[in-house]
Amino acid sequence: MEAAEAMLGDATMSGAVLATTGPRRSGWVTLGWAGPGALWLLVFLIAPVTMIVLASFWTKTNTGFDAFKWTFSNYGRLFDTVVYREVLVDTLKNAFIVLVLCLLIAYPVAYFLAVCIKSIRLQIALFIVVLAPFWTAYVIRIIAWYPILGRQGAINYGLEKLGIISAPLDFLLFSNFAVVLALVQLYVLFMVTPIFFQLATIDQSAVEAARDLGASPYKVFREVILPLSLPGVLIGCIFVFVLVMGEFATVQIIGGNQIQSVGTIVRSYYTNIDLPAAAAGSSILVAVMMIGVAVLLRFAKLREAV
Amino acid sequence: MSTTPASQATAGAASAAPVGSSGGGSGLHLDGVYRVFPGGVVAVEDVNLHIANGEYVVFLGPSGCGKTTTLRMIGGHDEPSQGTISLDGEILNGVTPAKRPVTTVFQHFALFPHRNVLQNVAFGLKMRGIGKVEREKQARDAIDLVGLGQMANRKPRELSSGQQQRVALSRVLVTRPKAILLDEPFGDLDRLLQLRMRVELRALQRDLGITFIHVTHNQEEALSMADRIVVMDDGRLQQVGTPTDLARHPKNVFVAKFMGDNNTIRGPVVESRDGVVTVQGKLLRGAVRGDLPVGQETAMTIRASAVQVSTSPEAAAVNAGRARLNFAEYLGDSVKLHLDVQGEPFLAKVDEARYAEIRAFEGQDVTVSWNLEDGQLLEL
Repeated sequence: MEAAEAMLGDATMSGAVLATTGPRRSGWVTLGWAGPGALWLLVFLIAPVTMIVLASFWTKTNTGFDAFKWTFSNYGRLFDTVVYREVLVDTLKNAFIVLVLCLLIAYPVAYFLAVCIKSIRLQIALFIVVLAPFWTAYVIRIIAWYPILGRQGAINYGLEKLGIISAPLDFLLFSNFAVVLALVQLYVLFMVTPIFFQLATIDQSAVEAARDLGASPYKVFREVILPLSLPGVLIGCIFVFVLVMGEFATVQIIGGNQIQSVGTIVRSYYTNIDLPAAAAGSSILVAVMMIGVAVLLRFAKLREAV
Repeated sequence: MSTTPASQATAGAASAAPVGSSGGGSGLHLDGVYRVFPGGVVAVEDVNLHIANGEYVVFLGPSGCGKTTTLRMIGGHDEPSQGTISLDGEILNGVTPAKRPVTTVFQHFALFPHRNVLQNVAFGLKMRGIGKVEREKQARDAIDLVGLGQMANRKPRELSSGQQQRVALSRVLVTRPKAILLDEPFGDLDRLLQLRMRVELRALQRDLGITFIHVTHNQEEALSMADRIVVMDDGRLQQVGTPTDLARHPKNVFVAKFMGDNNTIRGPVVESRDGVVTVQGKLLRGAVRGDLPVGQETAMTIRASAVQVSTSPEAAAVNAGRARLNFAEYLGDSVKLHLDVQGEPFLAKVDEARYAEIRAFEGQDVTVSWNLEDGQLLEL
């Protein structure tokens, strides 16, 4: 076939395309652009984390700590107490549950906004409505659960009036159920937003092409929309996982003294002037988070390869 | 699957009844097709067209003329508000794009960015439930056909735009459609690649014998590729004809202007004698064969390449006059003369060999003339 032979000539072009790079800038200009960000990370991320890791090796004394005596005993002390190990597992478990619930709620919402709504104006308007909870303060959003979930709260009152229960349900507040509920409500937006933006970037003509080539609505979703939205899902998962793992305020307010997280334990060490143990607890938390994020990234890679 | 053609046929018979037998024969039929968008914008108005199987048809027109909407209706990505579209006697109205025996090559190729070349090409077969081994074999054949054998494992972003287009093409070819729809297929290619792809695409179409329906706003592209050109403007068909028809015998003022390099004179008939009418434009006046009463508003056209240009002042013939040469545009194989008859622009095209002679007259008057036979009347 003549056409095919003529077309072969173009095969070498892609190499040239791949090798193409932007115009070369001088090193100083690049440094100028990268500098502020690097400085920010250094001062507000790398330095504090380094300090915490260092502090986790200091020795606890009766009055505070001795920064010149290095020891591993802080980690030993943490792991010797059953509480820390159990709470670490519970925190991971909760993070996983919250992550899954956020994903289950957020994906349909984001899909509806980005795919089902065709008018951009309506899309933006509805997205602002989705963001509405952010207009109230964090603490208010948590405390607002009290009058809903409390012993004399709306749910218990309503159920009792209806005669469905005779005594108030206790598991509604100051329980793990309440903590998960509040965390999902707080962080679901961190899942909706990246998925929404990722879905919105999907080229509609790719969707049309899939349909054109014989894909059913389910196949269009499974073969085109879902894989192309995975980067947004991944970012949302990282957001929610990291934020929930580090949570202590919500857990304390809504879980009362019944529920603990790594965050609340670290805080209690800190208030007991046991800075080295608090630092060790934080360091372990950071390490676990990094492992979790690495697992998420690995999972995403695998999915992409399918 | 086996029940689908039957149900389509019955649905077709019901909706085809008002148009009678026109939905019948082989090839693609558009009968009285309208598309009115919500809000009342009429995108396509009363399109009647028959495209034979194996024909290469180009829809040509300015943006917003309705050509893409027409293509989308054939592909099933839009539905006519009125009228029927049928292929080989089978009514396509209401049939989903997935079930239509036509496939579209989208404007910016619309490749799946997360799939490699092989997976992109095999997609249509996968959707038809063809097993992995068989579909990959067929996909490889289709990729080889467009000369991208070595690129099978690349992702679309790792390909040049020319290669991406070939992937888009083979992704469509592999499903063996009855007709392929191409929406501005060369829009993303640089000019040299466009010129080459024109030849390759045309050769491929001849080899395969599949109907190609191609949408463009580029006159040159349409003339070089089509068996037949469909010129559209304002939602309506303006003229349907072979490239030579379009170039030599534009039917109306729009087509003459849109095809370019035509001089149009529009105005009343001032003289009508012996089968020759004289049309008086604002400033230009031209005689042309025809039979119209004096006083009737009409228009005529003369191709720029039919205009003779002389640098020596000559005695005036029937269609001759003096015109100021503003600019002689060198085009490589010809010279385009931008003339001016008392403020009204006029075009002429002469052989490249005369460039030096013509150029010396820039800013001066030259004599232009044309044969009576070269002018023709237009519909308004």
